[in-house]
Amino acid sequence: MAATAERARSGRGVLGSRRGGRPKILLTYEMQSTHQLDLFPGCRVTLLLFKDVKNSGDLRKKAMEGSIDGSLINPTVIIDPFQILVATNKAVHLYKLGKMKTRTLPTEIIFNLSPNNNISEALKKFGISANDTSILIVYIEDGKKQIDQVDLISQVEGHPVSLKSLPEITNITEVKKIYKLSSQEENIGTLLDGVICRMSTKDVL
Amino acid sequence: MAVTREVAAEMSEEPEPEADALAAARERIRCFLSGLELVKQGAEARVYRGRFQGRAAMVKHRFPKGYRHPALEARLGRRRTVQEARALLRCRRAGISAPVVFFVDYASNCLFMEEIEGSVTVRDYIQSTMETEKTPESLFGLAKSVGQVLARMHDEDLIHGDLTTSNMLLKPPLEQLNIVLIDFGLSFVSALPEDKGVDLYVLEKAFLSTHPNTESVFEAFLKSYSTTSKKARPVLKKLQEVRLRGRKRSMVG
Repeated sequence: MAATAERARSGRGVLGSRRGGRPKILLTYEMQSTHQLDLFPGCRVTLLLFKDVKNSGDLRKKAMEGSIDGSLINPTVIIDPFQILVATNKAVHLYKLGKMKTRTLPTEIIFNLSPNNNISEALKKFGISANDTSILIVYIEDGKKQIDQVDLISQVEGHPVSLKSLPEITNITEVKKIYKLSSQEENIGTLLDGVICRMSTKDVL
Repeated sequence: MAVTREVAAEMSEEPEPEADALAAARERIRCFLSGLELVKQGAEARVYRGRFQGRAAMVKHRFPKGYRHPALEARLGRRRTVQEARALLRCRRAGISAPVVFFVDYASNCLFMEEIEGSVTVRDYIQSTMETEKTPESLFGLAKSVGQVLARMHDEDLIHGDLTTSNMLLKPPLEQLNIVLIDFGLSFVSALPEDKGVDLYVLEKAFLSTHPNTESVFEAFLKSYSTTSKKARPVLKKLQEVRLRGRKRSMVG
């Protein structure tokens, strides 16, 4: 277990263990996207995207019980990893101050994606639901703490894909609707600009 | 299950009591900012240039001044940061160019926003244009653009509060006269022509004192403003009144 985890971190191809009928998982380096948080040295954020997921309902239940150490996010409303990083940065900031609006760091990340302050609505729209066929997992590793990525991936009945496939999964219409982006805004910036602005300033509305 | 608990315990040795956490947060920011390039040291705030999660960013830090009472310090810094964040969002929602906000740190009163790369302040643009072209007429196009932007801003009932040519940027390519407004710390929302009139008066004073012999440019700006804004008439009337009110002016008979 430790050996395979080590290989996963080094970035070489990893074969997940066979578990009673579940297919082998092949994960290559481009498929995960790990970023350092500029404001929190030592804090690393990893994004994992999955397609053709069959057990979203199950995963959602596990997430709600707190047995998954990461945020399960609906990738159809995510346009760019920067969106996730902005949400995560704010979540970690508030976590360290003891001022989160939700109860856990994973839910805080999901909540920060929302353009408004209604928590349950945010979890519904940005978290995953039982019939989602693609999911985005975001987890944080701070300092010595490390996540067993192989174990995490093996819990998903789906195919891990590179973050480069995100644009194929995003539902732009839905994004515009949820974030209430106006046509005037399209003249002065990108869709991502509009999304980020709302996420970062919603607490002063 | 076991992983989660272990991990939760490691991730934070339980967030420390508030005061310590706050001090730690401020120290972290201080450390981060020390690695950035200081581009402006104003009376209000220090502005730095750097990167935020891969994007070119500006960080505006409203620091405690030291001579103010600490309670006032905290309140003012926070209020101005909040006003600025709010105004930037309002601008963008209305289609007015202003920097995108990435993150607001209320513990340190730091605002992280996008850097408008390659931008030039309208102030510098006017000064260099006057040096090379020497005629105010060459600035009429700019005056028109500024008039349009400020008219839209006032039509949204947003008062900038500190209109100067240093608080307006030109986004490259400069010939396109794409104006980006910045520095909204003194902004507020108001529909009153008086407030809008004062906003323009502040600009007029700043403009004419910074850029000599440009009265015609300001006139052109006012013309553009009145053409673009639906509520211009009462505002310009107020501007006239405020002008008469100004320093060293007597309103007595």
